[in-house]
Amino acid sequence: MKKLLLLLLIPNFIYAELVLEITQGSDNPYSLAVIDFNGPQKISKKINSIIKSDMKRTGEFVILDNSQLISVPLNQEEIKYKDFKLLGIDFIVLGSLISESKFNLSVSYDIYDVRKEKKIRTSKVFGIPNKIRQLSHYISDGIYEEITGLQGVASTKLLYVTEERAPDRSLFQLVIADADGANEQILLKSTEPIISPSWSPDSKKVAYVSFETGMAKVFIQDLASGNREIALENSTQISSPSWSPNGKFLSLTLFQDGNAEIYILNLKNKNLTRLTNHYSIDTESSWSPNGSRIMFTSGRAGSPQLYEIDLRKSNSKPRRITFEGNYNAKASYLANGDGAIFVHRSNNRFQIALKYFDENFVRPLTESRLDESPSISPNGNVIIYATTEDELGLLAGVTLSGARFKLPAKQGEVREPSWSGFLR
Amino acid sequence: MFKTSNKLTNNFFAMVIFTIVLSSCSSMNVTEETLYDRNIQTVQASVAEEATLDYETKAIFTNATILFEFDSFNLSSKSIQTLKGAVVAMKNNSAIKITISGHADERGTREYNLALGQRRAESVKDYFALNGINKSRVSVKSYGEERPLAFGADEVSHAKNRRAEIN
Repeated sequence: MKKLLLLLLIPNFIYAELVLEITQGSDNPYSLAVIDFNGPQKISKKINSIIKSDMKRTGEFVILDNSQLISVPLNQEEIKYKDFKLLGIDFIVLGSLISESKFNLSVSYDIYDVRKEKKIRTSKVFGIPNKIRQLSHYISDGIYEEITGLQGVASTKLLYVTEERAPDRSLFQLVIADADGANEQILLKSTEPIISPSWSPDSKKVAYVSFETGMAKVFIQDLASGNREIALENSTQISSPSWSPNGKFLSLTLFQDGNAEIYILNLKNKNLTRLTNHYSIDTESSWSPNGSRIMFTSGRAGSPQLYEIDLRKSNSKPRRITFEGNYNAKASYLANGDGAIFVHRSNNRFQIALKYFDENFVRPLTESRLDESPSISPNGNVIIYATTEDELGLLAGVTLSGARFKLPAKQGEVREPSWSGFLR
Repeated sequence: MFKTSNKLTNNFFAMVIFTIVLSSCSSMNVTEETLYDRNIQTVQASVAEEATLDYETKAIFTNATILFEFDSFNLSSKSIQTLKGAVVAMKNNSAIKITISGHADERGTREYNLALGQRRAESVKDYFALNGINKSRVSVKSYGEERPLAFGADEVSHAKNRRAEIN
């Protein structure tokens, strides 16, 4: 009996925890000294190591710590800028725990510009003791923002699907984790496949496709309450949800007349507008950042290619975007709308590629056998995608600065990543 | 069917934030922000029972798997041989209703493969219709690349997975 109970309990403990691995950094990084924060060593060590890993992952920073410095200042007065200039360090971060109790863990930190020999930022983050990771991510984003002028993504979240294969029935889970793969939280457990998860623009809801009813259906789930609904009650299979930038519409693929066509669903009144009408496959719709255009994959030219429809013009004909190779699919617009990332086949490999709309060629970003499901970070600087190694699915990332990282799971498969909006 | 069962509460950092720029004098930024906490719910999907054929019917269609080429939903001459037998079985057992599920191999994107699986299932349905089987007896669905039969990354595995099954 005890044995049986144990067996029943095990599935709850097996979950894919992601492990971060940085494989390559950029050519011309900022050099940043992160001095150990003042305060209890155990906590400050943890905070420092999370900040370092966050900053390294951007690919834009080289991090030096106490052991690599000529002099280690405890406060502003003790900074010997000369010692930092000798090491080619651009910026110094000094910080302290300002309060630590059962209910409160807060930090202050300052950033110094070595060349200018002065303090350029002073910040406070008020947190709680069991959220040290989040607190540290906030500090990382503050540092990133101050130095690069861009919002950081250390405090954002990833949404993805895991699968634990079992001889009888696999376990599929829809999971949310920090951008570094830590702090996994399970949204949905199912014995049927889950695909195409995506965040609502306000990051409070997610849409995804679940096969739990026996066929593909699009669900919308509220993160805080766990309440969920089928986006559109209909007897047909529905898939490929994509939120409009204002969160009021969801574009979907309906298999209504035996063929995949794209529709736009008004989430408030559930009105459905047909967008495509062609006997070939039309799917994988995605909205431009200003909501005026939709890109999608169509087989109308005999192989999957990307097309774009202008929503401001009625009856506008789809415009073909890609002509390179015989497989271009699953596009997302770049943050400024002047290009797209997508899955491109070249030499029988499926890679993540980028195309600017004013160029007539494709720029490959990855080089493995089977890369798919690219998703762009909210600051537009990082692309996360699904790849395979040794026939096992894992997540990998590439930054526009050329840095690469991997998020392999300790167990099982990870795939279908989707990056949240800014949460800070 | 979609009621939430087995709710588990996890702590999720909603991170509603106040970023107060206290002063933005020309040389130095001063900020204060607070972490906020929000819960997240885990939901267990209650999976629908799959309709399965009775034993006798299963025996009739046991070898009725139709294979396809990459990115194609055309029926091969070999597939048509398989389907001829299935049409006869449908005619001899007029009470049987079947579901054709279309599948794809792992290459290419999941959503495009889902649509492709649908087209494969539809091709088989069309063949039944052309051969006098009432459309109401045949329903179709797709699993795309989500339910592979073979897990290898080689062409032999891929070929097994590009299929339509009769259930």
